[in-house]
Amino acid sequence: MIIAVFTIVTYLIYLLSKKIYKKISIAAFHPLLLAPILLIVLITITHVSANQYLQGSILLSHMLAPATVAFAVPIYKNLPTIKKYLGTIAVSITIGTLVAMISTFLLSKLIHLSDDFIVSILPRSITTPIAMEVSKEIGGLPALTTVFVIITGIAGGIVGPKVLKWLSIKTPIAKGLALGMGAHGVGTSKALEYGKQESVFSSLAMIFAALITLVWGTLLTTFI
Amino acid sequence: MKIIGVILQIGFLHVFLFLGIVLKHFIPLPIPSSMLGLFLLFVALCCNLIKLEWVEQGAKWLMAELLLFFIPSAVGIVNYQQIFSLQGLGIIFLILISTMIVMGVTALTAEKVSARKKEEGH
Repeated sequence: MIIAVFTIVTYLIYLLSKKIYKKISIAAFHPLLLAPILLIVLITITHVSANQYLQGSILLSHMLAPATVAFAVPIYKNLPTIKKYLGTIAVSITIGTLVAMISTFLLSKLIHLSDDFIVSILPRSITTPIAMEVSKEIGGLPALTTVFVIITGIAGGIVGPKVLKWLSIKTPIAKGLALGMGAHGVGTSKALEYGKQESVFSSLAMIFAALITLVWGTLLTTFI
Repeated sequence: MKIIGVILQIGFLHVFLFLGIVLKHFIPLPIPSSMLGLFLLFVALCCNLIKLEWVEQGAKWLMAELLLFFIPSAVGIVNYQQIFSLQGLGIIFLILISTMIVMGVTALTAEKVSARKKEEGH
């Protein structure tokens, strides 16, 4: 019963946020920012604790798992494209994941983050279920990692299009790979606004980034 | 009618998720069960064990509404008071800068590599 209520309320607020964002397309109104804020306000007014809400909305967060499975469909449908661009995808994403982890590590040191925060923030640029798994393996706190993944998504959705514009990136492959690499699922939903090709490359980047980060994670745990 | 189809297909995708959970018990690597499920579904599609139409609509819906499934965890941020401190501001700044670098480097690499590929092709 509680699950039904929280699921429906969350869905309605999500639809509302998308509508608002369509009308007023400024970063502050991004659905991933606006919907949680509205929900936090709502649960505060109605005296529901964050943990009660998290338990009640479990059906929605659970859907990330079948959604990850679902990415087999675009991979299968775009097999010829993958074969054609495998080299570009592999090189770009290998470099992308390395830059993500190294820059995150160096910047974390710069602002003096504690060790458990650093370990939890390292896998932030990949999709949630896999980031949580990598975080667990390298000794981080998966719940905290989720928070960093979300912030990464919001940040990427906002600055991504600007970075692509500044660097005058033209090709769909570069746009798609950058969005999927930098901001996982959120980047991929942004890529859909550019076009079908961009969204395909973005989903591929997301999957490759997850796989390659898993490899880095395994290496880290084996050698440290 | 279409909604029922989507729901049934999401149910069918759970079969692969479940198989992924089973497979995880036999693989000693830190690969999430959802990723194994992705792999199994991909193999099933390639080997024509299942038809694309059986999962296509459900998969399309799940991927289109991906943002929705992140919302509960985003609300969960309130459990981390540290994010709302000076250090939290630093973390947000870190993530912004790093994400920009990652996207910039990835995009430039992709343009360079694909341009070189094209030249070689000539």
